Amino acid sequence: MILEKLRLEGKVAIITGAGRGLGRAMAVRFAQAGADVVAAARTRKQLDETAEAVRATGRKCLVVPTDVTRSEQVNAMAEATVKEFGRIDILVNNAGGGEESLGKRIEQITDAEWRRGIDTNLSSQFYACRAVVPHMVRQNRGKIINVASGYGLRGGKHNYMYACAKGGVIQLTRSMALTYAQNNIQTNCIVPGIFPHNEEMMQFFKGGKFIPIGRPGDDAEIAPLAIFLASELSDHMNGELVIIDGGGLAGGITPTGVVPQLQS
Amino acid sequence: MDPSLKEFSLDSMAALVIGAETPVGRAAAIALAEAGAKVLLASQEPGTEKQLKEAAKAAGASGVKTAIRVQDATLRADLSATADLAVKELGGLSILVNALDSPFFGPANAADDATFERVIEANLKTVWMACQEGGRVMLQRGGGVIVNITSVAAERGVPNGSLYCAAKAGVLNLTRALALEWARKNIRVNAIEAGWLDEPRSPAVRKDEFSERLLKYLPDNRLVKPEELAGPLLYLVSPAAGFVTGESIAVDGGLLCRV
Repeated sequence: MILEKLRLEGKVAIITGAGRGLGRAMAVRFAQAGADVVAAARTRKQLDETAEAVRATGRKCLVVPTDVTRSEQVNAMAEATVKEFGRIDILVNNAGGGEESLGKRIEQITDAEWRRGIDTNLSSQFYACRAVVPHMVRQNRGKIINVASGYGLRGGKHNYMYACAKGGVIQLTRSMALTYAQNNIQTNCIVPGIFPHNEEMMQFFKGGKFIPIGRPGDDAEIAPLAIFLASELSDHMNGELVIIDGGGLAGGITPTGVVPQLQS
Repeated sequence: MDPSLKEFSLDSMAALVIGAETPVGRAAAIALAEAGAKVLLASQEPGTEKQLKEAAKAAGASGVKTAIRVQDATLRADLSATADLAVKELGGLSILVNALDSPFFGPANAADDATFERVIEANLKTVWMACQEGGRVMLQRGGGVIVNITSVAAERGVPNGSLYCAAKAGVLNLTRALALEWARKNIRVNAIEAGWLDEPRSPAVRKDEFSERLLKYLPDNRLVKPEELAGPLLYLVSPAAGFVTGESIAVDGGLLCRV
C-alpha cells in the first residue's frame, strides 16, 4: 500500500535544531512515523523536552547537545549516532536563524555578524553533510533534507547574509545530489515561504495577505513534507527543491490582489 | 491510522486521471486508488478501451470504485463531458491529474505547420482545456487540486525538441498562472516534471547512440520508471501539501542539478 511507504520504521534520523519549534515538531512526527531520532541543538534542557515527546511515541531519542557552527561538535554528533544506533539513515538540516544582521544597512553589518550568520545557516549544513556522508556511503543508502528558504531564490531588501546562506544551501543540495547519486543517497531541499513562528512575526508579515493563497504557512505543514522526502516515495527525487510557499514563487511579477485585463 | 500518514490519505476523494492508458497515467491511477481515492480513468486518445480497462482493474484492486471513459483529449466536448461524468460517477471531483504526453523529436527545419499544430495541441492545448474543464467543476463545487505531468524538457532546451520543449514549458507556466488565479478559490495547481522516462514512447528507450550516451550522462545512469512519479504525485494531491501551489517537482534522479 502506497501510504505505508511513508513509514520510517527502523530508520535513524538526525534532526538539527530539534530543541524547539519546527525541529521539535519534525522530531515527534518522524518518531510517529517509526523512526528513532537523534535530537541535536545547543540547549540540553530544550532537547530533553523534545526527547520526552519523542519517547512518548514509543521510539528512542538520543540527545546530543551540539553547536552546529562548530564542526568538531557536528562530527561528534554523527559519531554518537553511529555508536548508539549503528547507522544514519536520514539527516534533516533544520538548524538556522539568528538573523542579527537582517534589516541592517550593508555598511552597518560587521564581519563578525556576517560570519556568524553564514556559519549558522550554511556552514552548519555543510559540516553535517560532510559528517554523515561516509556512513551513508557505507550503507549505500541515505536521505539528506536541507532546509533553505524562499530567500535562497529571491533577493530581499537589507537581506544579505540570509539570502546568501540559503542560496548556498540550495547549491550545496545540488552538488551533494549529483556527487552521491550513484551511492543511493538522495539530497533534497525544502524551500519554505513565510512561516511566522509567533504573533509578532504574524503582524510583521501582515497575516500573509500578500501571499497568493491568502495565508502564511503553519509550522505543522513542513513536517509532512520532510517525512515524504525521508521516505522511499521520493527515491527518484534528487537535488530537487520543494517550494512550500502558498504560490509566492510561482508569481511575483505582479502584486498580489490585482489582475491585468486586456481582452480586445 | 498512524497519525503521520493520515494527512496523506485520499480516503473517499474523487479523482480523475486523464491519459490513464499511458504508463504514467496508469501508475497515477493505481497510486491514487491505493491511497483511498475513487478514480475515473479517462484516455488521452480513442481506441484505448482495453488499456483503460486493464488499468482500472489494477487500480480497483485496492477496493475503491473505479470507472473508465474512452475519450479524445483534443476535443473540448469530450473533456467537458468527462469532468461532468466524474461528478456523476464518483460524486465529486477533488483531484485532477493530467498525464497528457505525446513525445515528438525531429529537426525544426523539417517540421511543417501541421506538425506544430499537432505537437502543441497534444501536449499543451489538451492540458489547458482539461484544466479549464476540471477547474470549472471544482470552482462550482468549492475547490480541488490539479497536477499536470510535464517534463524536465520544460526547464531546458533539447535539440530536435523545439516544439516539445515549448509545449512542456507551456504546461509548466500555465500551471503557475492558474495556481495564482485560483489560489483564493481553494484550487491548488502543481506540476511534476518527469525525467527521461522508461516507457515505450520515449526516445530514451530506443537502442541508438542517443539513448546510450544519455544513460551514461544521467546522474544515476538509469531512466525514470513511471511508478516513480507516484510518490510525489501523492504528496502534491494530498492534504499534506495544503500550502503548496504553483510548484513543480522534478523526478529525474538529479538530472537538473547538472544543467
